[in-house]
Amino acid sequence: MPAARAPETSWRDSATGYLFLAPWLIGFFGLTLGPALVSLYLSFTDYDLLSNPRWVGAANYVRIATSDPKFSAAMHVTFLYVALSVPFKLAFALLVAMMLNRGLRGLPLYRAIFYLPSLIGASVAVSVLWRQVFAGDGLLNQALKLVGIHGPSWISNPDTALYTLVALAVWQFGSPMIIFLAGLRQIPKDVYEAAEIDGASRNQQFWRITLPLLTPVLFFNLVVQTIDAFKAFTPAFIISGGTGGPIDATLFYTLYLYQEAFAYFRMGYASALAWVLVVIIAAFTALSFLSSRYWVHYDG
Amino acid sequence: MVDLATQDEVSPPRNRGGRTLLYHVVLCLASIAMLYPLLWMLASSFKPDSDIFGDASLLPRHFSLAAYWRGWSGLQVTFGQFFLNSLVVSLCSVVGNVMSCSLAAYAFARLKFRGQKFWFALMLGTLMLPYHVTLIPQYILFLNLDWVDTFLPLIVPKFLAVDAFFIFLLVQFFRSIPRELDEAAMIDGCGPWRIYWIVILPLSIPALATAAIFTFIWTWDDFFGPLIYLNDMNSYTVQLGLRSFVDSTGKSDWGALFAMSTLTLLPLFVFFLFFQRLLIDGIATTGLKG
Repeated sequence: MPAARAPETSWRDSATGYLFLAPWLIGFFGLTLGPALVSLYLSFTDYDLLSNPRWVGAANYVRIATSDPKFSAAMHVTFLYVALSVPFKLAFALLVAMMLNRGLRGLPLYRAIFYLPSLIGASVAVSVLWRQVFAGDGLLNQALKLVGIHGPSWISNPDTALYTLVALAVWQFGSPMIIFLAGLRQIPKDVYEAAEIDGASRNQQFWRITLPLLTPVLFFNLVVQTIDAFKAFTPAFIISGGTGGPIDATLFYTLYLYQEAFAYFRMGYASALAWVLVVIIAAFTALSFLSSRYWVHYDG
Repeated sequence: MVDLATQDEVSPPRNRGGRTLLYHVVLCLASIAMLYPLLWMLASSFKPDSDIFGDASLLPRHFSLAAYWRGWSGLQVTFGQFFLNSLVVSLCSVVGNVMSCSLAAYAFARLKFRGQKFWFALMLGTLMLPYHVTLIPQYILFLNLDWVDTFLPLIVPKFLAVDAFFIFLLVQFFRSIPRELDEAAMIDGCGPWRIYWIVILPLSIPALATAAIFTFIWTWDDFFGPLIYLNDMNSYTVQLGLRSFVDSTGKSDWGALFAMSTLTLLPLFVFFLFFQRLLIDGIATTGLKG
């Protein structure tokens, strides 16, 4: 048999394969791998685009770790943002998905309405709108006035600015909701029927059936949304006018990186910041995958 | 007996009807709360400026298009130019992404060649890599190529399948197409290129459309790329134009700001209305972030 058959992959097949793959390969080496290596090198240098990069060893990383108050501020803001926006967003998404999964009439309409903010959420227009909703004389305070409360300017108050961004993220719970909904559909109805016969309460059904069977979807949403939250940029940029203010209250990590690179042209330092972000995201992802053994049920 | 059985199915236990009603009320209220800001923006764009403050209503008392006229030519360059620029960038990106990603996906899903698994794993690996690590060297590269202030840094990467997510999406779809079709075409004398062109692509229209629409929306919405690469206002995309408009009018002209915000969202609404099904299925089956 083996002698009669041509080898599975002749050089001709391989050549064809690589031809199809050529655009991606050029992009991979030229725009992904190459630049990633260059940025790793730059992170050990001082580089302002004008003169040649000057090797400084680990100085950039040392400064990040020990003596950069802006970095600490950005970390604080970003972690707070991730820690608040992701759980709330997923909780809303799951709650609404479970309501919608009960065969309600008008499901497509509800689903469309809840999905719309996710679709348009990345636009500058939505960030602009958000700025006006939470401004001193904005929509929220107009509504609060009706019940006799004089709200502050949420955007320009350092204590509340970040929460307006969290609200913006939670407002976009539509796409994880759709994924939850697809996951809920996969759970066979007879499991619930059996549980009901056994006298399981709704509460028990949720904790013993729905949630465990949904953990793979929950895991997926958690990882994707967290990585996304770490990378958030546009809303903070628009709402703070590019400054990350007031008093660094909305200085997202990516915004700080942008300022270092494209406002001050400290390309070496910004590259180090980028690699620290990679390490943070990788560590989080690895942690999720490691912990998933204990809480994600794949055997349905 | 039959009556009883059907009745049992039709009328659920008593508390279930109440619960359904409750859910409807909750969901309706939630829908209104979620859409209110958007509708307020739309309504405000038609209100005379004096009416926007202290008026959270959704019906303009005086209907006026003045804000649109003011906004359209509120900067040295009109929004018409921004829209044209965004359209060019987005359409080129769609063509580039669909072409390059479908080529790569076909290689991964259908061909056999040495190192295939290795490259596939690397491709998946790039999905996890935040773009920030490639950002600065890419910028230096495009700066040295003299591409800053052109659309090339925004478009060329799309022709090189840098958005690996779409490769993954298309691989999944191509794999679901029965191989017998390829084999039949092969017997008819088709090579891989013809199979790709006359078998795989036509059968993958839904997946290609999903990739195209998401590429369009993401490119249209992209703020970071244009912010870095476009400095000359004549080459601004709508997102940059809107941002400049915010900076220049600040709080002084909300009406015009809302009018232009509404306009920049318009293409997204159109996609939403016509392709909602496709978008939602795309997210549900592949976990696109939407």
